[in-house]
Amino acid sequence: MPEQMEIRCPKLGGQVTVAYCLKEAGALPCSRIIHCWHPYFPVEEYLRNRLTPEDWERCFNQSPKEKISTLIELIEAAKNKPDK
Amino acid sequence: MKQTKVFLDESEMPRQWYNIVADLPTPMSPPLHPGTGQPVGPDDLAPVFPMNLIEQEVSTERWIDIPEPVLDKLCLWRPSPLYRAWNFEKLLDAPVKIYYKNEGVSPPGSHKPNTAVAQAYYNKAFGIKRLSTETGAGQWGSALSMACQMFGLECRVFMVKISYEQKPYRRLMMMTWGADCIPSPSNITQAGRKILEEHPDSPGSLGIAISEAIEDAVGDKEARYSLGSVLNHVLLHQTIVGLEAQKQLEKIGDYPDIVMGCAGGGSNFAGLCLPFVRDKIHGKQTSIVAAEPTSCPTMTRGPFAYDFGDTAMTTPLLPMHTLGHGFVPAPIHAGGLRYHGMAPILSHLLKEKIIEARALDQIETFTAGINWARTEGFIPAPETNHVIAAVVQEAQKAKEEGKEKTILFNWSGHGIVDLAAYDAFLSGKLKKYELPEEELQEALKSIEGLPKP
Repeated sequence: MPEQMEIRCPKLGGQVTVAYCLKEAGALPCSRIIHCWHPYFPVEEYLRNRLTPEDWERCFNQSPKEKISTLIELIEAAKNKPDK
Repeated sequence: MKQTKVFLDESEMPRQWYNIVADLPTPMSPPLHPGTGQPVGPDDLAPVFPMNLIEQEVSTERWIDIPEPVLDKLCLWRPSPLYRAWNFEKLLDAPVKIYYKNEGVSPPGSHKPNTAVAQAYYNKAFGIKRLSTETGAGQWGSALSMACQMFGLECRVFMVKISYEQKPYRRLMMMTWGADCIPSPSNITQAGRKILEEHPDSPGSLGIAISEAIEDAVGDKEARYSLGSVLNHVLLHQTIVGLEAQKQLEKIGDYPDIVMGCAGGGSNFAGLCLPFVRDKIHGKQTSIVAAEPTSCPTMTRGPFAYDFGDTAMTTPLLPMHTLGHGFVPAPIHAGGLRYHGMAPILSHLLKEKIIEARALDQIETFTAGINWARTEGFIPAPETNHVIAAVVQEAQKAKEEGKEKTILFNWSGHGIVDLAAYDAFLSGKLKKYELPEEELQEALKSIEGLPKP
């Protein structure tokens, strides 16, 4: 059953259980969780019962950013940290 | 005796990398600054990359010289051998010739050092003292650790904590090569401290580790950041794989009908394929296929629709299935499922239909990897299993069609330090099964006790 199963996380390159995927993004599950786990249990139904529509939107319906854009955002955020 | 390997002498090593940007039939859109909406310029990237690498990132020159000190280090394992997979061919019993570039012969066991060595060299040449990076399971972190040691650079690797605890051998490889390997989230960056305050038991994530590595580099004028995939200069450095393969195939008078690689960020796929993409642009009839991981849609129930999510097809197929009576969930934007984005060059080639992508599920890929190990001997990295499974599909297709095909693929790394993944497969933890209807609710109940999002 799901809590005993492991799948290979394509992000990490290692084995993970669904417990990791449920909190991969801190307060939110990994954005790939449905994609990765839907063959094994009704993960979408599970999450729809637990996420607010806003969190659902944040988690699953945001367009991906180009890597360069992500890097620029992180650079700007790091430059603005007070004790750099 | 049949010839199994084709070697190049060190003197035959390519002296230049190939830059596909010079040959693209249509230009790529420049990346935009998320704050200004203007094209990203060199100064935007200067806090994390040395200018000599930024110049490569934006270069439109077709050929870029490989510096002699880089060649000297690459020669430790390059040119990598081109193999003919006679035994796997026999197992498949299909009208195919299968060649593969064995990139598992590098010290860390993958293609990753092809760019790690180059990046360490250019940072050293620019006067940088230390490189910072993130790593998931440690393949990239170990490659960069070795490369930094080769050029006298310090190296700090933020390794996602769950992998840090699960993967002691990769961590030990990094430490052996002199790197400082830190579990992420850590308390040495503000990004890490913030996470730990909110979630003291956080197992970390690649996103957190990237934030830490960037912050670490930006906060130190003598440090820079290093990335092992996606970016143009990374793909450029990897093209030595395909350029060598072209010379090796020429030696034996062969040329592939199909060129394949596994694609996450895209660097090993691009490394082998881009020189062949050039040939294709200039008229060669070659299929170029990227194998991507996915779950298995055939295992799920209900009617499916598929959505590419965006026109660039930078996202994998997303199956959307109906739940309950007449309940159709709002379509999930497939983009949200893309974990770190395929390289822009590859996205562009997909959009232009010069290359194609194929998704394979992990059961199929491990089955292929096990068959490979039992015939060819080498145990593939789990990522490499994706392309081996795609090769199997191509062989079956050739058999069905009765057509002879020559397949070339990138055997991107060995799996000797990933045996836990094989253990999971062999012990049935990666079991392929479909839940009977009556077990659905039981399945939901079984995760009730787990952390809730």
